[in-house]
Amino acid sequence: MSRRPDPADGGTPGSPGTLASALRKYATAALVSLRSRLAYPTAFAGSLLTFGLFVFVFSRIWSAVYSTQAEISGYDRAGMIWYFIVAEISIFGFSRFYSSLSEDLKGGQVAYLLARPYGFTAYHFSQAMGPALGDSLVLAGEGVLLGLLLGGPFPVTSALQGAALVLSLLLAACLQFFLQFAIAMTAFWIEENAAIFWIYQKLALILGTFLPLEFLPPGAAAAARWTPFPYLSWAPARMAVAWNFGDGLKILAAQAAWAAAAALLCRAVFAAGRGKITANGG
Amino acid sequence: MDRSGHGRPAAYLHFLAAAFSANLQAVAEYRISFLIQVFGMMLNNAAFAAFWAVLISRTGSVGGYGFTDVMVIWALTSTSFGIAHVLWGNVRSLGSIIQRGELDVYLLQPKDPFVNVLASRTIVSAWGDLAYGYLVLAFLPGTGPERLALFTLLALGGSLIFASVFSAAESLTFFLGNAGSLSQAVTEFLLSFSLYPETIFDPGMRWLFYTLLPSGFIAFVPLSVYRNLDWPLVPVLLAVAAVYAAGAYGLFRAGLRRYESGNQVGTRL
Amino acid sequence: MSVIAVEGLSKTFRTRVRGEGLGSSLRALVRPEYRAVPAVRDVSFSVEEGEVVAFLGPNGAGKSTTIKMLTGILTPSSGRARVLGLDPCKDRTRLAMGIGTVFGQKSQLWFHLPPSDSFRLLGAIYEVPPADLARRRADLVERFGIGAYMDVPVRKLSLGERIRCEIAASLLHAPRVLFLDEPTIGLDVVVKREIRALLGELRSRDGVTIFLTSHDIGDIEKICKRAIIIHHGAVVVDESMKTLKHRALARKYIGVKYARPVNLDLPGLPPVKKTEDAGSFVVDTRKHNLQDVIRALVNLGEVLDLTVEDEPLEDIIAEVFGGRTEAEARRAARAGGGLES
Repeated sequence: MSRRPDPADGGTPGSPGTLASALRKYATAALVSLRSRLAYPTAFAGSLLTFGLFVFVFSRIWSAVYSTQAEISGYDRAGMIWYFIVAEISIFGFSRFYSSLSEDLKGGQVAYLLARPYGFTAYHFSQAMGPALGDSLVLAGEGVLLGLLLGGPFPVTSALQGAALVLSLLLAACLQFFLQFAIAMTAFWIEENAAIFWIYQKLALILGTFLPLEFLPPGAAAAARWTPFPYLSWAPARMAVAWNFGDGLKILAAQAAWAAAAALLCRAVFAAGRGKITANGG
Repeated sequence: MDRSGHGRPAAYLHFLAAAFSANLQAVAEYRISFLIQVFGMMLNNAAFAAFWAVLISRTGSVGGYGFTDVMVIWALTSTSFGIAHVLWGNVRSLGSIIQRGELDVYLLQPKDPFVNVLASRTIVSAWGDLAYGYLVLAFLPGTGPERLALFTLLALGGSLIFASVFSAAESLTFFLGNAGSLSQAVTEFLLSFSLYPETIFDPGMRWLFYTLLPSGFIAFVPLSVYRNLDWPLVPVLLAVAAVYAAGAYGLFRAGLRRYESGNQVGTRL
Repeated sequence: MSVIAVEGLSKTFRTRVRGEGLGSSLRALVRPEYRAVPAVRDVSFSVEEGEVVAFLGPNGAGKSTTIKMLTGILTPSSGRARVLGLDPCKDRTRLAMGIGTVFGQKSQLWFHLPPSDSFRLLGAIYEVPPADLARRRADLVERFGIGAYMDVPVRKLSLGERIRCEIAASLLHAPRVLFLDEPTIGLDVVVKREIRALLGELRSRDGVTIFLTSHDIGDIEKICKRAIIIHHGAVVVDESMKTLKHRALARKYIGVKYARPVNLDLPGLPPVKKTEDAGSFVVDTRKHNLQDVIRALVNLGEVLDLTVEDEPLEDIIAEVFGGRTEAEARRAARAGGGLES
């Protein structure tokens, strides 16, 4: 199983040609989405505002906390603030998959797309990833600005670290996509499945976004490592503020493994759901 | 032209009660959706409560606020927000109502249009927000009948302030054409600042909490009133709430005069 | 005292001129330019109690603007309007107690609730004493035939059922004047007929003054006794329906059918349609004497059938609407000759 799922672009998965064309395709899609965001700024402004507000408020919280102590669980004030920014870039930037997927699924496009099972997931992946990457770029821009203003100097100091951070964010994006897609597909069985998504969202917040894993009570932290949630936000945030090569590699590997597992989960849910649809006659 | 023989205020109370009852019935049609939304809200609040519990257990207090303090301002904000949207469900839809020309229906009825339009809807999930405050208090130490009564009064004042600020932001539609994003921003800011300890913000910012984004009157001052059972401050807070309400009403009337002259941008003839 | 009295009513909108492009937008910020749009110009008319008036005009003529000024939603630029003796703008709330409104898309009934709940709420809004409310409600439900729908959520009702409930709702507080805007739009023929009958009954039984805007000629012909036509912001016609039909245009439509084929080409008056033994003619009675034409037709052969009709109201009104200026519209209404050249 390849580390990064290739969309059905033709050619054998894993071959350089496919990878390059896939990358080019996503870059284009991301740029297109970026341009459209800039053309209609008000639509995206809400996200930018909320993101900015959260970063600001949490920077104040951490400043207040660190007024009496210099370091907690290995994080200092600046580190905590940058941690939060990177975590939120991942959470904010990659949270919209569920709602757009849900709309598509409930909109009845399903029957038409069922013809090509592998294409179904891959199709949605390529549709959704471009805009999400575009959004995240903008958020990242805002985040870096705020981080420099409120937190301190930019924590990424080497090209290797930078590459690891980007890779970690991309893996987090994939993991988000597959998990949210699997949840969206529960619509085949439960119409009001929004609650499931909300539970997923909140767990993502508690386990690694608001607080690093290291802050959680030891039992909770240990249990959390067995779930995918830390690999959505804690993982890339660690890359940014607590980088060392060995740990970084381990985290990236765990992210990749989870992304692969989630992709398989999607496949399984889809197969089960497809059976249900055809049984009901669409 | 008072037909029913009641005085004006009694007629208004009767009208508001009837509107409220109609609202409840409309909501009863969507029981499942209501339960789901309330669940979502509770989930969100629980996540934040967990965050604060863990953080404060590690750090002792944040900005002088202990865990109970944070929970109380959440309770105050939540219940105030809930009451505002239960009684005056259109506070954040006023702008789009104006833009769609739906205000006319209310203008044609013999009741004050501001009161009429705001009271003509209830937000389902707001009942959850309303209940959440009391739920939190039930789990906190020191809650007794006196504190519950005090809390209720504080929340009523807070709800009036929420309703005033939201409807004032929405009334800017009369002047700006589309105040949707502004109103959204106001909501986010006001809610955000009301849910975190006041002291983490610079003194330079805090004047804001007692003017345009009155978190001070919704959460911070009520917090100390609640803790210290400072009853004499209650009428003061309610008076402040009344001032905000008067301001919102005045802004709406000014906008309405503009609307009636028909010269706003994008007049629909 | 007239129920509606309008004198020199005018409304000019000042809209900001928005140019294209960044340059003019910036200029507009610094020095905004306004354009005056006269929507209603010097309109005067009065309506007595119990009248049923059709208020007509093409889109953009100033109809909605006038009605908004009459109901207090819009302030006039100049002139005065009095409804039930009250200034609609200054005394809007008081006036609301005495008027009813049924305005097209704007529903007074709550969408998710059955009409009976809306009726209760409206009773509270209009401060109708409970005993009166119950009595009027029962009466209206029976007359409008909506008993079966009173407990069905409005969103589940058909358009015709909903309109009937809307009109009934607007009458709960026993208003003296009823303003209706396009009440039968989108309804099928049968329902339209029912609504028209109900509205007619309102006038005859309850003495309600009805001010009706409509594009449906059937509404106007069947219910209204008087037509006020507004175009380019001014009143171009204000007459009884009878006068409008008989005098506005001097055209008669004649259809004739013969027992055997005849030559239907009358000198100076060719038929608009003809077959071997039948034909139709449009006679401008200013040019041809009607009696002469009929005599000539009868002399052509054995007549099986002869019809003489007025120009359809629809055509009359279409001609008035077609006038590109106020003067043209007036002239169309007067048919150029006869009363005014």
